[in-house]
Amino acid sequence: MNIDSILFAGVGGDGIITASNVAAEAFILAGFDVKKSEIHGMSQRGGSVSASVRFGEKVYSPTDKLGSVSFVIATEKIEALRCVKYLHKDSIMIINDRIMPIINQEINEAEIDAMIKSINIQTIHIDNFLEFAKKLNNEKVINTIMLGVLANYLPIDNKYFHKAIENIIPSKIKAVNIAAFNEGLSIGK
Amino acid sequence: MNLIKKLASGNEALAIGAYKGNARFASGYPGTPSSEILDYFKQFKQVRAQWASNEKAGFEAALGASIAGVRSFVTMKHVGLNVAADPLMTSAYTGINAGFVVVTADDPGMHSSQNEQDNRFYAKFANIPMIEPGDSFEAAGFMQYAFIVSEKFDLPVMVRLTTRISHSLGLIKYDPRPLDNEKELCIEKDFKKYVMIPANAIKKHKSILEKLEQLKDFSNETPINKIEKGDLNVGVITNGISYSYAKEIIPDANFFKVGFSYPLPVRKIKEFAKDFDKVVVIEETEPFMEEILKSEGLNVEGKKYFPRDGELNLDIVEDGLKKFGALKEKKRVYFEEFELPKRPPALCPGCPHRPIFDILHSMKDVFITGDIGCYTLGSLPPLSAMHTTVCMGASISMGVGVSKVQDKERVVSIIGDSTFFHTGIQPLIDAYVNKANMTVIILDNRITAMTGGQPDASSGFNLNNDDFEPVNIASLAKTIGIKNVFEIDQYDYKNTKHILEREIYKEELSVIVAKRPCVLAPKKIKDTPFVVTDKCIGCKRCLRIACPAIDFKDNRAIIDETICTGCAICEQVCPVEEAIIKKSEE
Repeated sequence: MNIDSILFAGVGGDGIITASNVAAEAFILAGFDVKKSEIHGMSQRGGSVSASVRFGEKVYSPTDKLGSVSFVIATEKIEALRCVKYLHKDSIMIINDRIMPIINQEINEAEIDAMIKSINIQTIHIDNFLEFAKKLNNEKVINTIMLGVLANYLPIDNKYFHKAIENIIPSKIKAVNIAAFNEGLSIGK
Repeated sequence: MNLIKKLASGNEALAIGAYKGNARFASGYPGTPSSEILDYFKQFKQVRAQWASNEKAGFEAALGASIAGVRSFVTMKHVGLNVAADPLMTSAYTGINAGFVVVTADDPGMHSSQNEQDNRFYAKFANIPMIEPGDSFEAAGFMQYAFIVSEKFDLPVMVRLTTRISHSLGLIKYDPRPLDNEKELCIEKDFKKYVMIPANAIKKHKSILEKLEQLKDFSNETPINKIEKGDLNVGVITNGISYSYAKEIIPDANFFKVGFSYPLPVRKIKEFAKDFDKVVVIEETEPFMEEILKSEGLNVEGKKYFPRDGELNLDIVEDGLKKFGALKEKKRVYFEEFELPKRPPALCPGCPHRPIFDILHSMKDVFITGDIGCYTLGSLPPLSAMHTTVCMGASISMGVGVSKVQDKERVVSIIGDSTFFHTGIQPLIDAYVNKANMTVIILDNRITAMTGGQPDASSGFNLNNDDFEPVNIASLAKTIGIKNVFEIDQYDYKNTKHILEREIYKEELSVIVAKRPCVLAPKKIKDTPFVVTDKCIGCKRCLRIACPAIDFKDNRAIIDETICTGCAICEQVCPVEEAIIKKSEE
């Protein structure tokens, strides 16, 4: 079986690392070999953060190859655009409709949106996931909602995600994360 | 027997391997990518893990524990071993009592480092074994094994991780029970072994060279140097993370996977290589294995096809193997990258370093020697207030040199508390003794912030959460004999500016200790946020302090209340009264 990958991209504080841990755990529970890489050297200081969850029968490299990532979750639009070199024509991207400002740089939002429109892949699901998170009274579950949206396209049963959330998320916020994941599933249907 | 199966980072796996290898003492100094190892290790029962002021002190503490009969290890990033190189070289002479392992985490690609040195050369330099895991699974197993090798040869053993191994996660499976010690060890008093006066050291040097010959045989036999057969008439000699890239790109090649890389298993590699028309060495950064193998007469290629700088990855390895002729040319299909604004890291909202750099930025005749920590970000625009950063502790000592040879520029040295305790104290003594005309600013935020908030001598608690009276830097400077010593609160912008300007233009040595704590660690600080009112004139003065909470839209500043910590620096630099105010609490 070939190796495939979910690439998570965002900025410091977005919860990228936790979301990628949940995805990695779900694939392990489903019987896959998994390797995960993280780039977060300066994340607490506002830099870009990314994580890859690579799964297959046997995975060697923790990092991705150009043109070979099928799934992307990006919590910010500029960070989403940084991922395009890893995509192929059948890739699926879930993007949170948000631009994080960059210190002392003016960002042309229309230009960013045009770039996203120009990505020629199978599916781009772009939404303001913050609104859904607010409905659940927890603005921090954006990632889990997005993971739920993506789960519609992933090759494993949703029960593995539920179990992964059980295993990984602290008990106080387990229930809201399960709800967020299910909300994502229905948004993505 | 219940095996534990879990996804673990290389750093966590290494700590597990150390525990299973019966290590019970560890020390080190934080440095990316090695910093998390001791945090994982301290969670085990009956172990002692502690931070040292620098890598040399940590190394020596662990060596002492080994001589006292307890398996021990020391952790550091690659450049940390430069600091600990002194005990490294001579501990090869003394040897060890209980197993002793030196963990170095190198940073190819320089994700968070000032250079890209390859520490495999230190093993060759010191004539000691080098072990290199390639993923989390191996990090656990090889670490456990390293203690056995150490005791077998009576030598310190180096274990080398790289950023991709330290910070990638992979599945590990292990029996949580530690090994039984093969022999009971107790503290060892042995003048000929541990006192390196020349008479003893002369004999020891000869014995190291003998051990090196034994190690060469051992390297040919150890199971961590292994051959994986394939159908292609291509031989690949590789190590560490490079193996995982190569194995994925050309799975049908024949692999010689090197896990014990010094001394190299030359005889075994020669036997492996003779069966193939083409043999390539794939290794990150320096041609360490390639040069040794070439000097042994092997017909191998390596750096002709692979870069000597930066990290390798799947695509670079694929390109190299194409050029080498082991893979067919096939066009790679992928989307062109967009031209996008970079997202450079910045000092956090509320960071107490910010006002210092804003003030220094406005002073044009100062030369600022900087150091290693979050505050190195003060070198970036728009703060742009740092002219040198070389290595840990270099700020004050370089400032001494600058101040002694010219008087056009006022000299300011900036150093954090953890870096000051690491290698800044002796340079401060030099500044005093040599009557340097300079100002030393010590950013005493009471934590080692850059690497994730490890405690230091200024924190008042240690890795085991034992409390102690923090080392008082101002008292220390006064004890040295320095007359002009001042403590400041950087959130009081006006007074900070006043003291900085007064001391920097004094024709004497001054020490300013800036006392505001870090906003992230040990606890997050967030006060009532500030907001921008209609009185904002859009002058952009507040943007010059480079706060991530401040943005500019429709001709006026806006503050992101969710991340503003209420430090009030923007309010104090704003030229318009009441344009920035504290948000009213309802």
